Amino acid sequence: MPKRIDRSTFLKGAIGCAAAVVSAEISYRWLRQPEPIPGQLRGPSVALGHRLRDGELADIPVESEPLRSTVVIVGGGIAGLSAAWWLDKQGCSDYVLLELEDEVGGNSCSGANSISKYPWGAHYVPLANSESRYVHMLFEELRIIQGHNSSGLPVYNELYLCHEPQERLFKDGAFQEGMVPRRGLQGEDKKQIARFFEIIKSFRQATGADGKPAFAIPLDLSSGDEQWIQLDNLSFSQWLQDNKFDAKPLFWYLNYCCRDDYGSTIERVSAWAGLHYFAGRRGVAANAELNSVVTWPEGNGFLVEKLKEQANGRVIASAAVTKIETVDGGAVITYFDSKTNRQHVVNSKYVIFATPRFLAPHIIAGYSAEAAHHPCYAPWMVANIIIKHIPASGTVSLCWDNVSYTSKSLGYVVANHQDITTREGEKVVTYYYPLSDEDPVAARRRLLSMSGHKWSEFIVEDLTSMHPGIDSEILSIEFCPWGHGMVSPTVGFIWGQGRSSMKKNYGNIFFANSDMSGMSNFEEAQYQGITAASNVLEQLTTT
Amino acid sequence: MTYALLITAFVISTCGLVYELIAGTVASYLLGDSVTQFSTVIGVYLFSMGIGSFLSKYIKKNLVLTFIRVELLVGAVGGSSAALLFLLFNQVESFRVLLYCIVAVIGILIGLEIPLLMRILKERLDFTELVSKVFTFDYVGALIASLLFPLVLVPHLGLVRSSFLFGLLNTMVAVWTIRLFKSELPWLSLLYSFAIAVAGVLVCGFVFSEQLTSWAESTAYPDPIILSTSTPYQRILITNSGKDIRLFLNGNLQFSSRDEYRYHEALVHPVTAAMHSLHNVLVLGGGDGMAVRELLKYPSIKSIVLVDLDRKMTNMFKEQALLSRLNNRSLSASRVSIITDDAFVWLRRCTQRFDLAIVDFPDPSNFSLGKLYSQTFYKTLKTVLNRDGAVVVQSTSPYYAKNSYWCVVDTLKSAGFQTLPYHAYVPSFGDWGYVIGTLSTFTPASQYPPGLRYVNSATFAQMLTFAPDMLPTTHVVNRLNNQALVHLFESEWGEYAEAH
Ligand SMILES: Cc1cc2nc3c(=O)[nH]c(=O)nc-3n(C[C@H](O)[C@H](O)[C@H](O)COP(=O)(O)OP(=O)(O)OC[C@H]3O[C@@H](n4cnc5c(N)ncnc54)[C@H](O)[C@@H]3O)c2cc1C
Repeated sequence: MPKRIDRSTFLKGAIGCAAAVVSAEISYRWLRQPEPIPGQLRGPSVALGHRLRDGELADIPVESEPLRSTVVIVGGGIAGLSAAWWLDKQGCSDYVLLELEDEVGGNSCSGANSISKYPWGAHYVPLANSESRYVHMLFEELRIIQGHNSSGLPVYNELYLCHEPQERLFKDGAFQEGMVPRRGLQGEDKKQIARFFEIIKSFRQATGADGKPAFAIPLDLSSGDEQWIQLDNLSFSQWLQDNKFDAKPLFWYLNYCCRDDYGSTIERVSAWAGLHYFAGRRGVAANAELNSVVTWPEGNGFLVEKLKEQANGRVIASAAVTKIETVDGGAVITYFDSKTNRQHVVNSKYVIFATPRFLAPHIIAGYSAEAAHHPCYAPWMVANIIIKHIPASGTVSLCWDNVSYTSKSLGYVVANHQDITTREGEKVVTYYYPLSDEDPVAARRRLLSMSGHKWSEFIVEDLTSMHPGIDSEILSIEFCPWGHGMVSPTVGFIWGQGRSSMKKNYGNIFFANSDMSGMSNFEEAQYQGITAASNVLEQLTTT
Repeated sequence: MTYALLITAFVISTCGLVYELIAGTVASYLLGDSVTQFSTVIGVYLFSMGIGSFLSKYIKKNLVLTFIRVELLVGAVGGSSAALLFLLFNQVESFRVLLYCIVAVIGILIGLEIPLLMRILKERLDFTELVSKVFTFDYVGALIASLLFPLVLVPHLGLVRSSFLFGLLNTMVAVWTIRLFKSELPWLSLLYSFAIAVAGVLVCGFVFSEQLTSWAESTAYPDPIILSTSTPYQRILITNSGKDIRLFLNGNLQFSSRDEYRYHEALVHPVTAAMHSLHNVLVLGGGDGMAVRELLKYPSIKSIVLVDLDRKMTNMFKEQALLSRLNNRSLSASRVSIITDDAFVWLRRCTQRFDLAIVDFPDPSNFSLGKLYSQTFYKTLKTVLNRDGAVVVQSTSPYYAKNSYWCVVDTLKSAGFQTLPYHAYVPSFGDWGYVIGTLSTFTPASQYPPGLRYVNSATFAQMLTFAPDMLPTTHVVNRLNNQALVHLFESEWGEYAEAH
């Protein structure tokens, strides 16, 4: 028996132990050989888009006789579909809608698997404000609003109102109910959060000298008063600083909201836009609280489907518009049918151009890139994930929206939350991640260059930090990278020169896309679509 | 021998930390909020180690013998700690007290060990060497434990088996120490047999850990379990004491064969006997067939449609003799058709019309069940009823959960029904509430089918009065977008469960 161990024996022992642990871990990993999670990349036809941009499609000869239509709508997102809805409503049924993808919907498109439908982008709409006239009209038509109570408040269909429990936040190792941080706050944090919401309360009621609300939805109905408009010339974070806000949890929350709705941070979006997110939403209902939302398993894909139904017979999908030439008294539209690989031509009197504006210089002959007034578009990664079982965490149940305080993503939304079944089966969750950390161009490059495998690793790791052990519960992941996800209301854009010149028509071409609002959501897209349709209708009646 | 004793320091500290991690993890699993659980467990553990170290000075002689005893005790308590915590979670009044007791006992014992070990080694090493060596091994052990635990033990062995395994390690240290000092120790064979006994228990625990966990479930029920099965929707469990058969779904009592006739007569007859036109009846939930048994007492009923989520449940109550005897083989009656579906989903697609609907769902204890008590659900139900149709809804206890009970009444009213709340006394449940909803005026029946043991005109008249302690303090309508009922139900039954 050695009387004492010398250093080398001890070191050998310690190294041996460490090596044992490491090799156990390695062999454990090896034995387990994690089956690669089935991942699948889908998304807007990026490749087709690039061919279009590079002018490759223009050379394919046109084979058939040209079609003829009074109006051609280019792009079947919410803006294009709403333009169609409005044309029909006003008795103009002679239009065709050309959509690049195999399905209409754009940023509001959706998918389905054996468990549930799920959104690929937009997933909810807040209760409609009283000034959001078109939203009310559509919601009443679709019986989303089923009537009004004795005091005139709209009664919403409760199957569509987001069911309880709605939101939870993972902070400091556990979930709390609601999204505004409550765990681990200092007294000062609480005071600032309360003060912020007091300000919002007064802004919600505020009007300008012109009698219009300071923050309206659609935003073009907002007051033009300098007092409010000048808020567009500074960043949201600057405004917060100027107003003596510095509480971290409050900043986290506001940044989360801006990333959620604008795909961008409080440093980049304007104060007007940041405040609009909160003060703009004034929608009320007889049977729901302020700030409630309507949602469906397929997200706003529900609205897409309804709008598509009414445009029935006039939608041409898999049709990439490659060229638009303005001619005397109309326009010639060339599109490429990606199913048959053929080019077709449509002659029309008017065009409603409802794709994001950055595409216009590539498609519209003679339309200069300067005229496009390039707004800034935020890149997003969206994934739909099938999960066998989401592990219970403490006493706060799984919610519709589940977010982590420390994650770079926006967490996940449970697509089958609105199900009325009592079966506790698999969940389909939609994972949202705006790449807002870096400048959009670099972020877009990163988004598209990272492999599906890498994305899958990234997402699983992110979810694991909220739910240890969830990796073995994941059945599949599908991705959809959105290179130009949504327009961001950067400082000075909403009330600046650029946006006002984006509203001008180009000959017989009228523009309609949510990017003309400077912020992208259902209400703005619909408003832009209807405004373009109204302008066309006005032209039609005067000529 | 010095070397051997230092290895001992290493093993002890590894085991100690593993027990602490196990306690923290079990507590996080069972109680949630990992930050709180780990902080408190670590705090109690370290503090108890301090107590142990303090107490060590009172041990004046027989150092080695005490060390071996402590080691065996740590092995026994620490080794079985995870199993104990899981087993007793359902049994003890305050799980937290048990948790911290176990953590404290382990902490004190481990706190005793290191000073004892140092004193045993005192004669063999000089002081500087001694302190440096023992603590080095102690801390290296802690590192190894903290790596092993998340990387190997939890994913590979699970908590219960890991804890048994480390208990065995402690026991082995004890045996080794006995061997090292066998010349100095009294009662050698006694010590050995003690060690073997502890090791035996731990090995058994390790091998039968699965059975242990299922036994943990059975201890929650007073009577012998005759059947327990998991379906995709629920855990079905049936106990039989000979005189009394009880059905539990997810641990909640659904009926006791002794007094279920009270529950089901009170659910079915007050509304059914009062119907003027009664041909088609819908039963939602109630896969045990008891409500259907009561309905079959009305010859005018031509068809009964039973919609239940769980095919296994309806099959059991249709085919197993013991169970179908309870419902008089009602589920095999020709007038009855059974549909396996989600009630809400099925209703939205349903094109049939009914005179009467009996709604017998489990209590609104979670959000998905809460949807079956929402205004939208009752509005949907209304669309499948004939003009003079009626419903009756089981609606939890107006005594234990009065606001929940009246919330169901208010919700039914808000969906356009005229409501008649009533309640009955069912000994195994307590005071239980129901509510009748009608589309036209309701007149109580003057006649009931023959052979009823509980309901008649006189008892029903009594059921209509509510004592002041059953009246609500708030009024709220349960909606899909507020789930007010689930929130009320949780707080009201939660209060009762805590006081219990
Ligand atoms: C990840 C994400 C989440 C979102 N979440 C929400 C939400 O929850 N709620 C909300 O209200 N909004 C949300 N939005 C905003 C969303 O952008 C708007 O709601 C709305 O869908 C925008 O519609 P749009 O018509 O303006 O634009 P787009 O949806 O971009 O429509 C443009 C259409 O043009 C088509 N197109 C493009 N090029 C051509 C071509 N050459 N030929 C023919 N067609 C072409 C495109 O395929 C597309 O269908 C989200 C956006 C993203 C990216």
